Amino acid sequence: MKGSYVGKPSRGKLLRMDMEWEDGLVVQISIRGDFFAHPENAFDEAEAALAGARVAELGDVFERELSARGVTLFGLTPVDVGAAAATIVVGAHNPDNGA
Amino acid sequence: MAEFRYLETGAARASFNMGLDEAVLESVTSGAAKPTLRLYAWKPAAVSLGYFQGVRDEVDLDACAALGVDVVRRLTGGGAVYHADELTYSVVVPESHPLARGGILESYRSICAGVIAGLEELGVRAQFAPLNDIVSNGKKLSGNAQTRKHGCLLQHGTVLLGVDLDAMFTVLRVPSEKLRGKLIADVRARVSSVRSELGRTIPYEEAVVAFERGFGAAFGGLDDKTSPTPEELSSADLHAADRFESEAWTFKR
Repeated sequence: MKGSYVGKPSRGKLLRMDMEWEDGLVVQISIRGDFFAHPENAFDEAEAALAGARVAELGDVFERELSARGVTLFGLTPVDVGAAAATIVVGAHNPDNGA
Repeated sequence: MAEFRYLETGAARASFNMGLDEAVLESVTSGAAKPTLRLYAWKPAAVSLGYFQGVRDEVDLDACAALGVDVVRRLTGGGAVYHADELTYSVVVPESHPLARGGILESYRSICAGVIAGLEELGVRAQFAPLNDIVSNGKKLSGNAQTRKHGCLLQHGTVLLGVDLDAMFTVLRVPSEKLRGKLIADVRARVSSVRSELGRTIPYEEAVVAFERGFGAAFGGLDDKTSPTPEELSSADLHAADRFESEAWTFKR
């Protein structure tokens, strides 16, 4: 399944996310927005490492992947990413809610 | 001799501007150059995107092409910026430099002190608004973004000398035509410019003199104005061609 999220987490910057998942596992994910992450390329790697992660654990997995690479985030948290993923999944199962 | 090298490179195309910021970052990193302040502008007008932004999310590429507006992805995060009537600066220092110490927030505050001092030289009272903005009378006048690579910090930012919101919202994407009017009204309430604050037009050349003084006062003095080295200029051209003009980079997200 595929879905998208656009929103502004509390105290965060704008977050746009596209996610494709199957059997509860992330197939592909794109996290975009006007947040900051240092170093930037390590964020890219942590994002790519989310393929195969359980959608329900996405926030925790992202936190571990970022931490393993020494990435510092501003205007975005792994919890925001996990919450956006949950919103996408809920929206996909309840299209009237809209993701 | 002051601690800071000072470059003023005038108006250039977006890819060269970003390429030269990267070239200066490399030369400070290698020790070939000392901490550097650069002032510059954009010709033609351009949209710069934050490192993590989606180009199609943020930019009306057809409108940019029709209007001759450049589109470039920055090395730094943050939001999309329409660069037209403005002064842009970049600062590159080693991470061991006092301006880079104290963490990300403190380094933004320390470097933005130069922008605030430059605005003061023009007669505009402004304050730092964490994480990365400068405001006057509660309205944003300047956005700033930084990255840290290979032990050095690059921060660049804009000072709006004037702002054309209609042009800005032609090249930046808004969610729908229906929202355009409301968005412009919201942004008009939150964004200002030196021209709005002073009630007169400040040409780039006049702003350069003010910001040279302001940064000089905040940073403990600047060297006399000089030009980038031939190595930096050729490196800037290379980065412009290989990275900043490449579709792979622009359409990375």
